[in-house]
Amino acid sequence: MLKKLVIHVFLIFGGLLFVYPFFWMVSASLAPENELSQLTFIPSIISGQSYRQVIEKIPIIRAFLNSLFVSLSITTGVLIFGSMVGYALSRMQFRGRQLVFYVIIFTMTLPFQITLIPQYILMVKFAWVDTFLSLIVPYLMNAFAIIMFRQYFMSIPQDLIDAARMDGCNELQILYRILWPNSVPALITVGIITFMASWNEVLWPLIVIRNETLMTMPQVVTLFAVGGRAESQLGAKLASATMLAIPIVLAYVFFQRYFIQSMTTTGMKE
Amino acid sequence: MIVKLKNITGYLMVMPYLIHFSIFIAFPILFSLFLMFHRWNIISPMEFVGLKNFYRLLHDYYFWRSIVNTLVFLVIHVPLQIMTALFFAELLNQKIHLRGFFRAAFFLPVVVSGVVVTMLWEQLYGFDTGLLNRILVNLGLDKIGWLISPQMAMPSIAIMATWKNVGLYIILFLVGLQSVPAHYYEAADLEGASHWQKFRYITLPSINPTIFMVVILSTIGGFSLFIEPYIMTSGGPLNSTLSAVLYIYKQGFFYYHMGYAATLGFFFAMLILLVVFLQKRFIERDTGR
Amino acid sequence: MIPQILFLNISLSLFLAFVSCEKTNNIKNQKILYWSANNPDEIIFAKKAVNEWNDLHPSSMINYQPVPEGRSSEEIILAAVVGKTTPDIYSNMWQGDVEFYARGKVLIPLDTLPDFMEFIRTRCDSATLAEVTSSDGHIYQIPWKINPIMMLYNVNIFNDLNFTTPPSNYSDFIEAASRFKEDMNGDGYIDRWIGYSEVLAVWYQRFFDFYPLYLAASHGAPLVKDNKIVFNNTLAVEVFRFLQNLYSNDYFPRERLSARSDPFLLSFIATRFAGPWEIAHAEKFKPAGFTYDFYSLPVPDDHQGDIYTYGDPKNIVLFSTCSRPWEAWEFLKFVISKQNDLQFMEITHQIPRRKNLFNDEFFSDYFARNPRMIPFAKQAEFVRGTDVCPVLKEIFDILAQEYEACVVFGIKTPEEAISDAAAAAQLLLD
Repeated sequence: MLKKLVIHVFLIFGGLLFVYPFFWMVSASLAPENELSQLTFIPSIISGQSYRQVIEKIPIIRAFLNSLFVSLSITTGVLIFGSMVGYALSRMQFRGRQLVFYVIIFTMTLPFQITLIPQYILMVKFAWVDTFLSLIVPYLMNAFAIIMFRQYFMSIPQDLIDAARMDGCNELQILYRILWPNSVPALITVGIITFMASWNEVLWPLIVIRNETLMTMPQVVTLFAVGGRAESQLGAKLASATMLAIPIVLAYVFFQRYFIQSMTTTGMKE
Repeated sequence: MIVKLKNITGYLMVMPYLIHFSIFIAFPILFSLFLMFHRWNIISPMEFVGLKNFYRLLHDYYFWRSIVNTLVFLVIHVPLQIMTALFFAELLNQKIHLRGFFRAAFFLPVVVSGVVVTMLWEQLYGFDTGLLNRILVNLGLDKIGWLISPQMAMPSIAIMATWKNVGLYIILFLVGLQSVPAHYYEAADLEGASHWQKFRYITLPSINPTIFMVVILSTIGGFSLFIEPYIMTSGGPLNSTLSAVLYIYKQGFFYYHMGYAATLGFFFAMLILLVVFLQKRFIERDTGR
Repeated sequence: MIPQILFLNISLSLFLAFVSCEKTNNIKNQKILYWSANNPDEIIFAKKAVNEWNDLHPSSMINYQPVPEGRSSEEIILAAVVGKTTPDIYSNMWQGDVEFYARGKVLIPLDTLPDFMEFIRTRCDSATLAEVTSSDGHIYQIPWKINPIMMLYNVNIFNDLNFTTPPSNYSDFIEAASRFKEDMNGDGYIDRWIGYSEVLAVWYQRFFDFYPLYLAASHGAPLVKDNKIVFNNTLAVEVFRFLQNLYSNDYFPRERLSARSDPFLLSFIATRFAGPWEIAHAEKFKPAGFTYDFYSLPVPDDHQGDIYTYGDPKNIVLFSTCSRPWEAWEFLKFVISKQNDLQFMEITHQIPRRKNLFNDEFFSDYFARNPRMIPFAKQAEFVRGTDVCPVLKEIFDILAQEYEACVVFGIKTPEEAISDAAAAAQLLLD
């Protein structure tokens, strides 16, 4: 009995450890400026002044929309192309199939440090710098997604596919009408991971996007944190961080089960 | 006839990937190998410099420093992560209420952006008015120069990184722990096995894959560290938090030394591959696979 | 089946091919394109000047835009140069960047324009002109505006410390520091300091501490001259020693105070090395009863004569993509005329880089109404920009590294730090 109590105490301590800092952050962002250095828990009055400052100084709403557009585009692209290639690799025979598979594995192990500079130069040569193309196109193909889909499709019974073929479906129709509906877990897993990764990506936007109207949300908040625009207003910085956290946290709260499942199935497959 | 058609379909379906690969991966790698032998600042023409970039890299204090810094990061981050994750996984493995609630709490930092976590911890780590130091002072202890001491800065980032990522490994360890049938432990108890023996022969094998994953992914993560030092310390104090990617970024996008930055990128990539390869070898040999 | 897939593939390839073709030069807009800095006051000034010009010269109208928003305008300009989308005129070019672009051949040598030298000599003194002359003897920039770095100080605090005038030399400054330093909440840690400077070892931070102090101590001596490092001297060492002293005695905090609310306005620090931009900020956020003013930078005790400082100069350049530079120059003569310099001060409260600014009757009314700007106008006679050097940023980065080791952490002596910095910087230039 005592053991159970001790365990729960530690767990509650752990839970607080991972959640309280966020709570503090939101609290501090809602506190009036003069209370910030003293704050540990709840501010005396709730003030939206920090949030107003953020919205006035940086185009955070615009950045949110940009991030949404970019992440949705990338996720859609990855789902479409990833499943297409995954299908080809799992169910079709053609010479060089193994080779393509090895190439994909190879790209998964390739550290990005080597392609970072040349990819930027490529963006300059294509004149894609400061356009959404530079944020989306390089990420449209994802080796991890392809592998996941391939794995999943291999477990789908061949008869299903044969039946569809006999009904006169072409390959793309088979993909979207048969495979997709039967691979919802894979779609969700790949979808969530891709969306999350592209939403949080900040190094690449910092490199290829200089124009503020096109910046992504994490990028805009980062620049607000390190630049002088915050005018040392701590509350504003924390407010911008809170605004950045809200979309993902909201998604997490509602789809938490899928988030955890997705990332852990990926982990196990590794 | 049908086989032939099938062949073409297969090719056509992987074609987008192959085109994308050629443009965005194969070409950059080849171009990087070319660029390493040149000096280029984008607006002036390229200048061939032979092996100068390599010579510079070998003698570059900052290059070697960033490797040392990454090692410091890993030495603290990896064991801390394994121990913390195991600890909480063990707790969650017991018969408790609200397991799902705790799981969700631990996992929260994992999904949130690194930018948010960094800005938050920058406040926690503040020397004068940061939350952590205020707690320490209230407890009658000395303040710690979390981000301003050259000895503490990288460890502080390592702690923050652990806090952010450990949730994932708690869940993974939990899965491993739960996959061990209870009667194994009961049988071991009957044979009078000690705690350590139970852990070594029953628990460890089931969580080994996860430990392996923590090590590899954390290593790759350590070499990819960027936004944390970028926001918190700009690589300081005294270059103790200068990370590999931050240095590449500085050379490429502050000074526009494209050739040298490409050289750095190449060598860091090779280093990562080497380290991961050695780790794989070491761990696989150790577990007798 | 096959047609669909073929279609998908072909359209994808076509798409990629289409977007990857280098953008051909658009048909040039007939008007000359002018970019200014994008802070609100400068935008107001630029719009006014452009509108006035366009009304008077309908046949050579100017198209105006603030420089696109980005992390820094320097980055935006570089991106424009690389993407060949530069404007014709840009008026916010930091002096330290010009040599880099000049050598890349993207700027127009202005001294080749017919009446340029004649006109510019009426506005700038010879020292300034020498400063902006590039290594190939041409002039690629028009000295436009400066924001001199001075010592911002809290008047009430220094009164309380028994200083009738603010400290003018190192000893006085240190004396004031020792009187002001305190642990206010009794937790064993100092929380009140005489001043603050960013301790981050980033190259541009040194423009707010080491470099202005060095210029003050040395009567405006250069760091680099004719491709040789010339800062390896006793004055640089003294500046380092002074600053090192401040940190080792806890008169300046080692922590990053910029991560919290403005410490000067909250009286946690008594001074700050800053420029006129602080005025607007201070007026907006200062608490009741708070009084501040500006004074010249502290200098070594044995210093004689004028006190210089760093002016953070921003200049006007013409990009080589400009097809009618003589037309652009006519417009610019209008922009930097006395009338418009006055307008500029009225609207933006920044100092035009014009000789004799304070003594010129034309501006005396403005200074009577804006006494806060007087210290800067007087200082404007004794201002330096940056030296001509294409690797200026890296030299300052080297200085920043040595600064961190010596001044902030005290692990090197000032002599070692300066000589190491000079050696490393000279290597860069060779």
